[in-house]
Amino acid sequence: MAYDPTENEITRRSFLSRAIVGIGGLIGAVFTGIGGGYFLSPLWHKKKESWVDLGLVKDFREGVPVKVDFTVRKRDAWSTIESRSSAWIVTANLKEFIAFDPKCTHLGCPYRWSDDKKQFLCPCHTATFGIDGKVVSGPPPRPLDRYPTKVVGGHLLILPQKTAEA
Amino acid sequence: MNSFWEWMKTRLGIEELWNALFARHVPEAKGWTAWLYTLGSASLFVFTVQAITGALLAMNYVPSPDHAYDSIRFINEQVLLGRFLRGLHHWGATAMVILVSLHMLRVYFMGSYKYPREATWIVGVLIFLVVMGFSFTGYLLPWDQKAYWATMVGVNISAQVPVIGEYIGKVLKGGDEMGAVTLTRFYAIQVLVLPAIILGALAIHLFLVVWHGISESPTRKEDDQNKNAGTGILQ
Repeated sequence: MAYDPTENEITRRSFLSRAIVGIGGLIGAVFTGIGGGYFLSPLWHKKKESWVDLGLVKDFREGVPVKVDFTVRKRDAWSTIESRSSAWIVTANLKEFIAFDPKCTHLGCPYRWSDDKKQFLCPCHTATFGIDGKVVSGPPPRPLDRYPTKVVGGHLLILPQKTAEA
Repeated sequence: MNSFWEWMKTRLGIEELWNALFARHVPEAKGWTAWLYTLGSASLFVFTVQAITGALLAMNYVPSPDHAYDSIRFINEQVLLGRFLRGLHHWGATAMVILVSLHMLRVYFMGSYKYPREATWIVGVLIFLVVMGFSFTGYLLPWDQKAYWATMVGVNISAQVPVIGEYIGKVLKGGDEMGAVTLTRFYAIQVLVLPAIILGALAIHLFLVVWHGISESPTRKEDDQNKNAGTGILQ
């Protein structure tokens, strides 16, 4: 197809076509790399966990569950979604904390702590949970849901995402 | 493999297409003027860059006053290679206007728009206007101060047209004031309307370039006795 008077010798024409293929290929490769990286970037995007600071550890009391309200600021790409949420915090020694999702595992009613009975009471179907979140009586299918907790620099942090009982 | 290639060649006419597009005769050009003949191809290349980078940017952009600026900051700061890609689109837009303008000047001053290439010129002017539309609508999309006020000026200029100016301004803005509807309008024009027009126009333009061939350079040749030489008339 192409005019090639002498084999094994670089002619002006073959030099130019090689230059076009070479430089064009290089440009194409760069574009494929950049565009591909951009397009496929969700594959190696690390999920950021948004821990919520619930205040100083020393403000909690051993053996007394307390309901803490907090604001969850969730990053969703370019926007931040704020939502109000709460959790029941239980601690036995001010070192290890348990955070319960504030909704009954039966139908999602909010429950409360009864100081008299030392139990969590759900008003909807009279379910009761122990201080460890286990079902004492009533229809709930599983113990109270928990949030991961950790203590950093004297502050209690929780990650308001449900996990199975630890 | 070889027979498959033969099959492809006969079924798709690859060889004929290749010869028509790339092995065609072009006028001899010497010196720096030869470079002027590359402006059209350069414009086409930058257009391709704009199409690819634009499609990728659209994956992370929201044409809404609440999110436009934030989504672009997200592209710049969070998405892998996002800043580079946006930079390509940004500078590509400027390069596109410059290259298309230079290409147009080249065609004008070399008289290449004359018989029989008038239709190529007319479609080319349409492409030039579409490119202007691209840069006008694209400029608003970052929704920062510069974008907002530059578009305000542009819209106000359009509104100076006698009699119908007021209506042109309203149609551009999508209402009496610039706002959310202006942004969505400009975005739709930028990514849906103008690409459709320019693709059709480019197809016609490129077909005509190949069909009529490239015009001779209007420079006088010393050994040329033909009086038509240099007038751009097909010889």
